[in-house]
Amino acid sequence: MLAQKKPMPGTTAGRVARSAVLGVLRSSAFAACALLVPFLVALVPVLAAFGLLGSPWSWSNAWSWAALALIAVPVTLALAHPVAGIFRQLIRRWTSVHMEAGFRELPEPVRLSTGYWWNGSSYERSYEDARMDLRARRIAEPAYWREVRWAVIAAATVGVVCAIPGVALICALCLLLSASPLPTALGVLLLAACFAVAPWTWRIVLPLAQRWLAPSADRERSAAELKSQRAELSAAHDAEIRRIERDLHDGAQARLVSVGLDLAAAERLIRTDPDRAEVMLRSARDGTRASLSELRDLVHGVYPPVLIERGLVPAIRTAALDTRLRVAVTGDDRLRLPSPLAAALYFAVRELLANVAKHAGTAEASVRVAAEGGLVTVTVSDAGSGGASLRPGQGLDGVRRRLEAFDATLDIRSPAGGPTEITVRAPCA
Amino acid sequence: MRIVLAEDQFLLREGLTRLLDSFGHEVVAVACTGPDAQEALVRHRPDIGVVDVRMPPENTDDGLRAALAARREIPGLPILVLSQHVEQLYARELLADGAGGVGYLLKDRVFDAAEFSESLERVASGGTALDPVVVARLLDRPASTRLATLTEREREMLALMAQGLSNNAIARALHLSEGAVSKYTTSTFDKLGLAADPSTNRRVLAVIAYLEDAERL
Repeated sequence: MLAQKKPMPGTTAGRVARSAVLGVLRSSAFAACALLVPFLVALVPVLAAFGLLGSPWSWSNAWSWAALALIAVPVTLALAHPVAGIFRQLIRRWTSVHMEAGFRELPEPVRLSTGYWWNGSSYERSYEDARMDLRARRIAEPAYWREVRWAVIAAATVGVVCAIPGVALICALCLLLSASPLPTALGVLLLAACFAVAPWTWRIVLPLAQRWLAPSADRERSAAELKSQRAELSAAHDAEIRRIERDLHDGAQARLVSVGLDLAAAERLIRTDPDRAEVMLRSARDGTRASLSELRDLVHGVYPPVLIERGLVPAIRTAALDTRLRVAVTGDDRLRLPSPLAAALYFAVRELLANVAKHAGTAEASVRVAAEGGLVTVTVSDAGSGGASLRPGQGLDGVRRRLEAFDATLDIRSPAGGPTEITVRAPCA
Repeated sequence: MRIVLAEDQFLLREGLTRLLDSFGHEVVAVACTGPDAQEALVRHRPDIGVVDVRMPPENTDDGLRAALAARREIPGLPILVLSQHVEQLYARELLADGAGGVGYLLKDRVFDAAEFSESLERVASGGTALDPVVVARLLDRPASTRLATLTEREREMLALMAQGLSNNAIARALHLSEGAVSKYTTSTFDKLGLAADPSTNRRVLAVIAYLEDAERL
């Protein structure tokens, strides 16, 4: 647009010349970028050939080549991400195509009441450590390995094709500098060829990058899914931490202050008015007991102790005792699952049992836990009135969404009139 | 009494030692891990072992397992388990051998020194002391099978029996004569099918029946 409003100085010839020069520059930039890794790796034998490394590197020695491979791998792994980043930036500048890196977004670390930072994967001492840990974890993401693959592919394709104009230009200039007519003629030819191909060579980068560097469409979709799951999880996590903070603040903390006040008063009164001091001391003891009981309830809601001490099935048995239902629990008491999965399943079962108590109109339910072939299946069933379904924003949907983070599925079979059977299946490696 | 104390938290260990000292008991050994606790219980054969549930090395229920293992080696070894939380499941495991001499209390119960001391004595002499919280949770629930045949009064009485109260104490708590209580006790034992047999402790068996009821359908 800009070019049309402000006509280019000169004519068609001028525009052609401009696109040729731009072509040489862009092609060379892409080539340099693609060949950065091979260049660094090749530096070793080249320097060695000039005797600059003082090492016994030689073309004929097989060990020298093995050593070269040893250098090539870490250099590629270390530079893959920056190289891919430069490619994405140049592509956006010169073709206006925006290419996603496809990494999962780094979650914001949360400061916990202990002063440590939780980044969704580990506890760290500081915010910076938490971010650093997240970045280090990117090595495990497919996006990173796509970048490594691109570094190799780009060197073999972009590195060769885009180098043509630049190399041709340099050769042409060298030839033109010589005085004899034949090389000069060759130089002119080469120069013409260089400018003829230059506007086109750099354009191969975009289709190649779209095929090999850009995240594929379904990957993007699953990335979006992950994003919403994570948002869900961090919102739940945040709400949980706030609830704990509020409970501690209004409960145990306030009570301990009042215990302290009672003790201070008792200390002052103990000689002058022992009777009142005794009342104060008793009140302090009651306060301590009450705050312990509140803390116990709080701990139970955060992570039930039996789940830590015995595992999922006994914990479900215990939870069943807290409901008004008679619940038959079957499953292997020795089953041990990864702690977050066990907790998620435990809280899901508790919610499902609460649903039975609230809506099913029956006093009996059963829970079956089975694990085989890397899949844990938890079934909650009742012979009540049925008609349970997934309605967005409602209880069961909330259970399903929280389980999604563990790739777990929720199956509901609940015809009107019952019986109801809700099955949770989760992979457990 | 000679006591083995198994508790991994320093503050609680010191506090409990002082408290037990003040009762005139002697703490003959302290243990900070599950295996140590088991070893100390078996070696010292104390009048009573006071054991925490969660202890190193695994920080799960190591203390409880140590206590159960020690009781397998020395049947009837009196154990009082103290914990930050009480679970009906653990209560049943402790009582399962039917030998008695078992207590299971929340740690806060030590605040009431007189009652705690009484629980210690009772467990040491082969009785039981279950935390009221374990018992209360069961009273809230609808009864099933065997317990459904009990009258309201008999269930109330069984709950107090589960806490370890003697007939005399139950009579005081329910404002009944001791004769009435022993009549209820007998009818309860009959309904639960517990015959008078000198080799078993019917009170403990009744409590086990009471605890098992919750999970039986």
